[in-house]
Amino acid sequence: MPLKKLVDLSIPSSQDYLPQVDSFVEKLLKATKFPKDDLDDVAISVSEAVNNAILHGNQSDESKKVFIKVYLSKKYIRISVRDEGGGFKPERVPDPTEDENLLKASGRGLLIMQHLMDRLAFKPTSKGTEIILDKFCPEGC
Amino acid sequence: MRLKTRERDGILILEVKGKVMGGPEATVFQDTIKEALGKKYKKFIFDLGGVDWMNSSGLGILIGGLTTIKNANSELRLANVTEKIKSLFMITKLVTIFDSYETIEDALQNY
Ligand SMILES: Nc1ncnc2c1ncn2[C@@H]1O[C@H](COP(=O)(O)OP(=O)(O)O)[C@@H](O)[C@H]1O
Ligand SMILES: [Mg+2]
Repeated sequence: MPLKKLVDLSIPSSQDYLPQVDSFVEKLLKATKFPKDDLDDVAISVSEAVNNAILHGNQSDESKKVFIKVYLSKKYIRISVRDEGGGFKPERVPDPTEDENLLKASGRGLLIMQHLMDRLAFKPTSKGTEIILDKFCPEGC
Repeated sequence: MRLKTRERDGILILEVKGKVMGGPEATVFQDTIKEALGKKYKKFIFDLGGVDWMNSSGLGILIGGLTTIKNANSELRLANVTEKIKSLFMITKLVTIFDSYETIEDALQNY
């Protein structure tokens, strides 16, 4: 199925850019047939992926960038977030729902993305980690 | 995130509004609680009714607040927890950690 790239943007590794990325992606999706009720699920997931790229991937090194791409197909929207870091093994991440982790202030981003998106994929590349987030449009996009 | 505090019957109510997405927000939140604890407040309510959405950083802020308050032998209740936040509590199993009430009035009852 052909994927149309709607946007290609990059930001320096600072959380100061989170609100800009958020309003940009929101505006873009509002211009499609993507269901309004699911906008927040995508917004939350994008914020998780971008936070991880900034903090864990690029370790807040502002000379490194986070690359965000938004794609549209007939059936789903796809958001790709890539950093310039060393990567990680998602299967090694501790389960935040275990009793001993419940009161920890962090460690829930991947779990939340898994629940809110329809498909999640990690691509370790030579240039960093790419996370791909897909969400279906039940009525077509 | 926007944060506003008000007092009722000696209880400090923290109104959280907007999108809670991470960054300097956690520090602002912690500072507000510490300042209130310094003023001898022992009971807190976080009013989440105005939250558009929050991510895992937002959940971290709530947990950080709970920990700080409990460590000071003080108490926390949540009020106006939106459906969206409830579903995050379910996904993350945080639902048992927090004492949640439908409204501010409910949270104030027997507090
Ligand atoms: N882009 C990334 N690059 C490197 N490590 C990552 C990346 N994303 C996630 N991680 C690792 O996975 C862990 C879990 O991520 P997450 O569930 O979002 O929790 P948190 O960000 O609160 O630690 C992180 O602590 C980090 O070790
Ligand atoms: Mg994270």
